[in-house]
Amino acid sequence: MSDFGDRVDLALADPILKIAVERTAGTAEAKRALAVDAFPDFEDARDRAAAIKDHVIAHLGAYLEEFEANAIAAGAQVHWARTSDEACKIVIDICKAAGARTVARSKSMLGEEIGLPHALAEAGIERVETDLAEHIIQLADERPSHIIWPAMHKTREQVSLLFKARHRSPHQEETIAAMAESARRELRTQMLGADVGISGANFLIADTGAVCTVTNEGNAELSLVPPRVHIVTAGIEKIVPSMPHAVHLLRMLARSATGAALTQYTTFYTGPRRPGDRDGPEQMHIVLVDNGRTTMREEGLAEMLRCIRCGACMNHCVVFRQIGGHAYGGTYPGPMGAVLTPVLDGLPKSRELPNACTLNGKCQEVCPVRIPLPTLLRGWREKSWREGLEPKTMRAGLGVWAWFARRPALYRLASGSALRAMRVLGRGWIRRLPLAGGWTDHRDMPAPEARSFMAQYKSGRRR
Amino acid sequence: MNAREEILSRLKPTVPGPAAIGADALLIAPERPFVDATALEEGFVAKLSLPSIAATHDRIDTLADLPAAILRYCIEQGLPPALYLPPDARLSGCDWSPFAVHEAAATEEPVVLAVARCGIAETGSLVFETAPDAPMLPNFVALHHIVLLEADRIVAHLEEATLPGPQPRAHYWVTGVSGTTDIEGTYVRGAHGPRFLHVILVRAALPRR
Ligand code: SF4
Repeated sequence: MSDFGDRVDLALADPILKIAVERTAGTAEAKRALAVDAFPDFEDARDRAAAIKDHVIAHLGAYLEEFEANAIAAGAQVHWARTSDEACKIVIDICKAAGARTVARSKSMLGEEIGLPHALAEAGIERVETDLAEHIIQLADERPSHIIWPAMHKTREQVSLLFKARHRSPHQEETIAAMAESARRELRTQMLGADVGISGANFLIADTGAVCTVTNEGNAELSLVPPRVHIVTAGIEKIVPSMPHAVHLLRMLARSATGAALTQYTTFYTGPRRPGDRDGPEQMHIVLVDNGRTTMREEGLAEMLRCIRCGACMNHCVVFRQIGGHAYGGTYPGPMGAVLTPVLDGLPKSRELPNACTLNGKCQEVCPVRIPLPTLLRGWREKSWREGLEPKTMRAGLGVWAWFARRPALYRLASGSALRAMRVLGRGWIRRLPLAGGWTDHRDMPAPEARSFMAQYKSGRRR
Repeated sequence: MNAREEILSRLKPTVPGPAAIGADALLIAPERPFVDATALEEGFVAKLSLPSIAATHDRIDTLADLPAAILRYCIEQGLPPALYLPPDARLSGCDWSPFAVHEAAATEEPVVLAVARCGIAETGSLVFETAPDAPMLPNFVALHHIVLLEADRIVAHLEEATLPGPQPRAHYWVTGVSGTTDIEGTYVRGAHGPRFLHVILVRAALPRR
């Protein structure tokens, strides 16, 4: 069986994982729903958010040049990286030139994408992860399993054991508050004493040259203000034309990610310390990272560049909620990860990710920038097919069905959601519904029962 | 070709025409929460009291009343009268004699005062900018963050809190206290930054900076 299949089977067999994922994703789903209901015209706001991103992607080169000129005028140094290796090398060179022994890192998925934790370790530079969840997974020596809650897969009991083993003065009481307090004690001095602070960017503001970060914990500011050097690594798609454009996307991001009206700390950094300032870094470096993004723009995945990394698609994904983030095997999990991982890691290695999707359309319904995730996933399936990457079972036309059928929990979800999709989308779609992959290419699908046999059976038993 | 040239060479515009016109059109009548422009202060204070923000507030008439208001807060919270004061000349006219005043913030600072430029009724946010007389770090090492805000400097929406033209080194919006939901999605107050936020609204305008 494939690596992906193995990881899924392991995940499905892990009862603790399911509880942990469900606790956080379930809360996130409920909070988002409340926030969206309270917002006037959220649907129109999504259209606008998508239009802002599309506009930027169409004029990406011009906006990057404008951003670069303004950032330099404010005293920042701007670097460009084609690949993850180039980006890491730039960061390590800056750290070495600054004589850095320790860096404080404020959670950034781009940093994970380019393998920065590994590059820092290889260069012998100590890394202090300051986001609470990143701190947890650094102690556990694991990778993030969610883009907003990287330690979503951990239960409080597991976190407690980790902190007791690794913190200098760990919590006594078995409460989540006491554990958070233990991390606060442990990390405060480490953040303030770091030589370099490294962050990502939620937005790059073209007309001011500012870099925007958002955090709920305040760890970005505590990690980025005290050190001598602040390094930003940002994907080139993070550009927005101006502050009011950023404001619209910030409203969408907070509501879609956590259900808040605004993230607690929203900071715009423009250049290094000014004359007379009592704090702030002496140098600010911004590394603009491509790593496949221009290729996505050229090769039919421009819509994916709209992504503002809110995590809503995974919180609402039936497959993610069953298997968690690690099973996906890439930097980014869930539906957006299934689209991005083939770009980043290559389709031959990740062609099963687009297959492990029920195409129920939930992700697309909640995406604040209206990315047509199911369509993009089908695009990967077709490409994989064309390029002959699919194994025999898949080519025989039963592959996806067989894949799900071997995993009963997922199969029930998949067939249930397929029925919903069929009712919503009608015949034109049924013919290409890839839950049954190539199978529907050759047969007419029978008109779906209102509920699948298993769903009827289970609810009948419950009554 | 170097990395910059190569990336830019592949990012030619995919639609014709200058970007600026399209960018402005995207800002016409943005969808956003309704804010009653005739009751900005009430709206702002109501946001402060939301469980998600959980800030307390007080009202004073003039700047001269500020030390007494902070002392009141310290007594209520059972805090010793020690205070970090930013090097803001507007505060130097107050009588700080009841306090042990810190001019440099320590790693852990129990009570920190800051002066906000404005407040935002839409979200209950406080707006700050860095300057020689307004360092940033004290506002994040604080356990109790006390913020002075002129009552008539409350704007309706986030857009109005932004500054035109060249930007200060850091411009930041604080909405409530430091929090985390990183362990099982359970909310905990005071993750790395302040655990308490107390806003003091002053009726009379402050002297010019
Ligand atoms: S694809 Fe959409 S829903 Fe998913 S993380 Fe990106 S913006 Fe959020």
